[in-house]
Amino acid sequence: MLAIFLVYTAIAGGTPQLRPSELKGRTGEVSLVGKVVGAVSGDARGSGLRFRLRDVEGGKSIRVVYRGSVPDLFKSGRDVVVKGRLESGTFVGTPNTLSTKCPSKYVAEKKAS
Amino acid sequence: MPELGRAALIVCLGLAVYAVVAGSIGARTRRRRLSESAENAILSSFAAALVASIVLLTALLRHDFSFTYVWQHTSRALPDAYVVSAFWGGQEGSLLLWLLILTGFSAVAVLLARRSARSLLDWTAPVLAGVILFFSFLLVAVASPFATQAAPSDGLGLNPSLQNPYMLAHPPMLYLGFVGLTIPFAFAMGALIARRADELWVVVTRRWTLVAWTFLGFGQLLGAHWAYVEVGWGGYFAWDPVENAALMPWLAATAFLHSVMIQEKRGMLKIWNVVLVIGAFALALFGTFLTRSGILSSIHSFTESSIGPWFLGFIAFVLAASLALVVSRLPLLRSKTRLESPVSREATFLYNNLLLVAFCLTILWGVAYPILTEALRGEPITVGPPYYNFFLKAFGLPLLVLMGIGPLIAWRRASLRGLGRTFAWPLGVALASGITLLALGARSSVPGLIGYTFCAFVLASIALEFVRGTRARHALSGGSWAGALAQLVGRNRRRYGGYVVHAAIVLLAIGVIGSSAYDTTREQRLRAGETMAVGGYRLTYRTTTTERAANALELRAVVDVERNGKHLGTMRPGKNRYFAEQQVSNEAAIRSDRANGEDLFLIAEQIAPNAVFLKVLVKPLVNLVWLAGLVFLAGSLIALWPDAREQRRLAVRYGRRDALARA
Repeated sequence: MLAIFLVYTAIAGGTPQLRPSELKGRTGEVSLVGKVVGAVSGDARGSGLRFRLRDVEGGKSIRVVYRGSVPDLFKSGRDVVVKGRLESGTFVGTPNTLSTKCPSKYVAEKKAS
Repeated sequence: MPELGRAALIVCLGLAVYAVVAGSIGARTRRRRLSESAENAILSSFAAALVASIVLLTALLRHDFSFTYVWQHTSRALPDAYVVSAFWGGQEGSLLLWLLILTGFSAVAVLLARRSARSLLDWTAPVLAGVILFFSFLLVAVASPFATQAAPSDGLGLNPSLQNPYMLAHPPMLYLGFVGLTIPFAFAMGALIARRADELWVVVTRRWTLVAWTFLGFGQLLGAHWAYVEVGWGGYFAWDPVENAALMPWLAATAFLHSVMIQEKRGMLKIWNVVLVIGAFALALFGTFLTRSGILSSIHSFTESSIGPWFLGFIAFVLAASLALVVSRLPLLRSKTRLESPVSREATFLYNNLLLVAFCLTILWGVAYPILTEALRGEPITVGPPYYNFFLKAFGLPLLVLMGIGPLIAWRRASLRGLGRTFAWPLGVALASGITLLALGARSSVPGLIGYTFCAFVLASIALEFVRGTRARHALSGGSWAGALAQLVGRNRRRYGGYVVHAAIVLLAIGVIGSSAYDTTREQRLRAGETMAVGGYRLTYRTTTTERAANALELRAVVDVERNGKHLGTMRPGKNRYFAEQQVSNEAAIRSDRANGEDLFLIAEQIAPNAVFLKVLVKPLVNLVWLAGLVFLAGSLIALWPDAREQRRLAVRYGRRDALARA
């Protein structure tokens, strides 16, 4: 039983989940977890939504461009996950993969506010 | 007031400790009065939990923000109904709800078992008390809902997406299901500790399992409907860990409900059943743990959470202790009979069980995979919907077929010729439906086509069972056909209730396949007056309206809907901007077609005074998913309805033995 799952996950693979600080040198598709910092600009249904993500714990941020559906809870200061890959210093999001981290965790979020 | 709440919880903890100690000593030394006193402590613990719950509820309704919990989860502007739902909107409150339901269920179980299964109760009561002990300890020492502070003038409010009528019913239903699984677990353990080899625990807890399972199943469908109409991304299930948390114990309980029938009828699968009941309970704990410990965001937040390690420790303890108990009682659990043929009703039940458990493990593996890979490699790897959907097809489609075979195939050993006779009709219907669907163009999805063919097979075999039974009844007693059908179902409630549930699962499958394998999605930006076409509909965007409600600014895109040149009405998807919470929420617009069960689903992704970015989904047959929920409930109720004839039969079978054990 376990073997089937192991084989499946080995072949079809999952997506590694990384923080912006761990992104350097990665070329494959990953899902990036981080906090939105600074201003959000652009149009997710046009040339792309532009924002910066940094590790939830702090540190340097990385540029992100994303097209597709944007969840209600998305805004500066929120923790989000987005799939995509690094292309010449910018993380290019896969369309429709942006989600805010665990919407039921609004308790912690309030403590921050 | 908070002192009263804290005191009540401490009393509850004390009663639980007493019930564990006194109950164990009473059972070991066979001192009846000590055992009864332990049971009474369980009854009183419900009173204590009730007092604590009333204190919290009162504080919520009075907007007493000196309670940290009240401040964190409500605000003055929040309508009263949602103030009540804030009871289970946070970690501490939902743990208190667990405790309240647990002590309530335990009290009812104790009172019922005093009449029907006195001898089982001796060791069952301390096990129940052990679980109560754990939860009241958490509430007293780790996550108290009665923490206080200097009262601020207003609270932080409730997440807008939880301000929905579904949130009044969905979480408590899941909790009723999770907690309900404690009762069969406790009775199974009680029987094992007492070295009883009979099936009394199975009989006593059958209804408990069914009730818990019904709540879990129906609660999940409510949650799915909530996600569909409220979260507004156009789907109803996303294999989110929180959703999986409820699905896993439900699958384990489904397997258990089937395999106990084999134990009752043929005395087989005893070890398997005990393991399943342990598994279902552990998964219910694990589900609560997943949704409440914060492990889902990452291991790091897990270690920061206060209750996570305690929960994990308790689950590990439950698994270790109960499995050790099973191993020490193995000789008692040996089967009286063996499987005679791989082609028989018993075997079908066995395959069904293996598939259900395999699917349950699939989900568990998917949920645990990021946690395991992070622990082993320092980098979590997540598996997404493709992983789950692959295994849903791999295990779900065979399960569907078994649902058509199981009820018809002979017990013990089925002959090939008999098989041909039995399944001629259902097979014919399935083939005919498959070919018809192919001609209608269902080949755009091969798994969909296969699934629908299987659905036809199951429905035909269920119908055949009803027709045959009614005909036999009619021949026997005459009267009207409707009367014969009512008699048939009334006299075999478990069996025909079960078939109705099967029909519900088929409806669910039809709805899920239709809305996922044959749906259409289109996205487009529209200016005022512009039109888009999708799945036979023509949508024209007119304008955007803005309205100021009590707690939010409501923006709506006015969209005219046409099909075949006929005006079908106006739909208003949009967004609400909540003032207090400073949050935006998507308000999807849904138009259900009663005639064919199809939904037209509109999401206003972006909305401006004179333009809108529309995402449009056409989801065929999706309404059968909700219909399935109602049929599921009806089937469960038929199976649950008290049956005096069955009670008498059981009293004859177990009553005497129970009396002997007492002597």
